[in-house]
Amino acid sequence: MKARTFWLVFAHEARVLIADRTLPLVLTLFALLIGYAITNGIVEIRARDAAVASILTKQNERNARNIDQLQRINAGIETPAPFSNAADPANVGGGLGGRFAYVPTSALAPMAFGQSDMIPNYYQVTYRSRVNFMYDSEIENPWNLLSGRFDVAFVIVYLLPLFIFAMSYNLLSAEREQGTLRMLLSQPLTLTKLVLAKVSIRAGTILTCAILIPVAALLIFRPETRDAVSLVQLAAWAVLVCAYGLFWFAVAVIANAFSRSSAANALVLVGSWVVLVLIVPVLLNLAVSVASPAPSRTELATQTRLITVDGLRRYQKLFSADYRYSDKPDLLLPKDGRFEVQSRPKAAFMLQRDVEADIQKLLDRFDAQLEGQQSLVDRWGVISPAIIVHEGLAALAGNGSQRYLHFQRQVATFHATWKQFFEPRILESRAMTEADFAAMPTWKWQEETLRRQLSDLSVRAIQILALVLVVAGIGFWRLKKSSAV
Amino acid sequence: MLEALNVSKDFGANRALDKVTLRVKPGEIYCLLGANGAGKTTLINLFLDFIEPTSGEVRINGRKVADDPLSTKRDIAYIPEQVMLYGVLSGIENLKYFAALATGERHSREQLLALLTEAGLPEAAADGRVSTYSKGMRQKVGIAIALAKNAKALLLDEPTSGLDPKAASEFSQLLAKARDRGVAVLTTTHDLFHAKQTGTRIGIMKQGRLVADLSSQDLSHTDLETLYLQHMAA
Ligand SMILES: Nc1ncnc2c1ncn2[C@@H]1O[C@H](COP(=O)(O)OP(=O)(O)OP(=O)(O)O)[C@@H](O)[C@H]1O
Ligand SMILES: [Mg+2]
Repeated sequence: MKARTFWLVFAHEARVLIADRTLPLVLTLFALLIGYAITNGIVEIRARDAAVASILTKQNERNARNIDQLQRINAGIETPAPFSNAADPANVGGGLGGRFAYVPTSALAPMAFGQSDMIPNYYQVTYRSRVNFMYDSEIENPWNLLSGRFDVAFVIVYLLPLFIFAMSYNLLSAEREQGTLRMLLSQPLTLTKLVLAKVSIRAGTILTCAILIPVAALLIFRPETRDAVSLVQLAAWAVLVCAYGLFWFAVAVIANAFSRSSAANALVLVGSWVVLVLIVPVLLNLAVSVASPAPSRTELATQTRLITVDGLRRYQKLFSADYRYSDKPDLLLPKDGRFEVQSRPKAAFMLQRDVEADIQKLLDRFDAQLEGQQSLVDRWGVISPAIIVHEGLAALAGNGSQRYLHFQRQVATFHATWKQFFEPRILESRAMTEADFAAMPTWKWQEETLRRQLSDLSVRAIQILALVLVVAGIGFWRLKKSSAV
Repeated sequence: MLEALNVSKDFGANRALDKVTLRVKPGEIYCLLGANGAGKTTLINLFLDFIEPTSGEVRINGRKVADDPLSTKRDIAYIPEQVMLYGVLSGIENLKYFAALATGERHSREQLLALLTEAGLPEAAADGRVSTYSKGMRQKVGIAIALAKNAKALLLDEPTSGLDPKAASEFSQLLAKARDRGVAVLTTTHDLFHAKQTGTRIGIMKQGRLVADLSSQDLSHTDLETLYLQHMAA
């Protein structure tokens, strides 16, 4: 009997929402938007994958060419040009052999690609100081980077609440206004059950839409998403979206429980959206940049320049030496495993090494500051469900700030390994061998562990669900006290 | 059996009901008269648990409404002054929904049509959207909903408002039938003639108090009219 009443209301609501065209209209519009967003994402990520693939192809081709050239040099059938010499460790450790360090796109990447747009997803790693390739672009407080592109995360975080409002701003007030509430409550039916059933049909339809369309699109058009790990991530994604949707339904219940007019409800709901989705994130940004100011880029640039000038002075003699290639072309060829690295490239290497060492403190401060900002955002993001969920969705899509920091750390490690490999060869003038090419450090991306991702996510899910419980709790508590007349 | 025992209801400083005691036994039609704002609807709302009494208690078949409103609501059917329905659905669809809520059972189309006909709504109108109905037609759907519930008690708040004379008299016959089945009926009305015609008991309310509680048999039409006007003037 109890369950039956619930389903009666549920089915009846469906009939009314279809008859008055609310459901078809809202769902069609929402399906179009989220369908467009996921299409956008799939296309975008395909392009990004293709870009990385083509870079890697080029890198492999160049590597093969280098090895080829080295073989010909060693066989004595080629005299290389001065600055593209595969036998010269300074050449290979620099631009000629530099390897690309890149973040692969995650399986769920098309769900949220807004942020990755503004952060490089690959660097060419050479012996040049990191300050010259990693810190030369503007990096801001991570939350700043999250907005701006029409991706699924944007539709969920920003637009879904509005669609939820369109369906439920007059959840109860309409029944009150049109007088049907008296008719309903004269039957054995509680206000709580009535509201639960009314929320269920609405949440059921729009959240199914919000989850099914992107997930189905990914499963069909992005085969990477079909493995076990991705399926777990998709499930976690769905949980997060559901929790977020339920939060806004709970807000609608509160509005309906406290106020009696649909117009007032609409106003209150849009107001809560403006505050929680638009204003609080901006304020949080402001607060974070005041509490933990972004390090000055000008300072970094100035310091780099000073250190560089210093180094130039230190290695002045080496830099001003001649290349001697024109009168001694033999210098371009290795002899008995030795290749005499000229003083200029040697100086260039040492300069970059020194710059790196001297600027390290500043870079560390930069990184610490960035991580500090991130942890502030993580801690205080709780005040807005929009922040919690957007960060969570970006993380699941592999475009979150944590994975980005993870990438930066790996690049730093790889960069250090790369320099370690070349330093003795350049400074001791050892010629590159075929064995060296095989032993050269290669970039291997270490993915974040799923466990780490999930533990981060469950924290977010718990935060959201706690919010849902609090808000819905207040709403239903108030409903119990409100009357039919 | 409907019982209000020494019931008062305050809305802020405004006392809408003042120590009202009233009983409607099975097989009785109790007609409640009184000026606008006398407290008639407030009394009915108490039986429906729409509001809670400030003091005193309201019982249906011996059970306090406040204790278990869900179960007391199973025993009563209610027709408000304005039966409000879902405009985008047809009369029969509205009836189907409310009848199912009321009884927990599904009704066949034939059963629903029979109920509508009994309530006086022509079969041809049953499938029209309620938004196109007149007030009286909606009222008839409300009557059909009450019929479907087959309840032990009826709470009627000016149920015939908007009904044409023929429909109103048919409704009186329905009430008489219900009375004969042993249903307890509490109805408010402004129609003295109708009250005398159908009521077995008549109560007169004034400013929240029940100032007269009479048996209909003991009165003639003119008696009732005089009495009513006397009370109003006092
Ligand atoms: N929800 C409410 N809040 C505040 N006051 C109310 C409420 N409902 C009724 N009242 C007040 O209680 C008094 C009785 O109203 P009620 O509706 O019971 O009168 P009534 O006898 O049904 O009148 P009518 O013949 O016009 O239907 C009135 O003074 C009214 O203003
Ligand atoms: Mg009234």
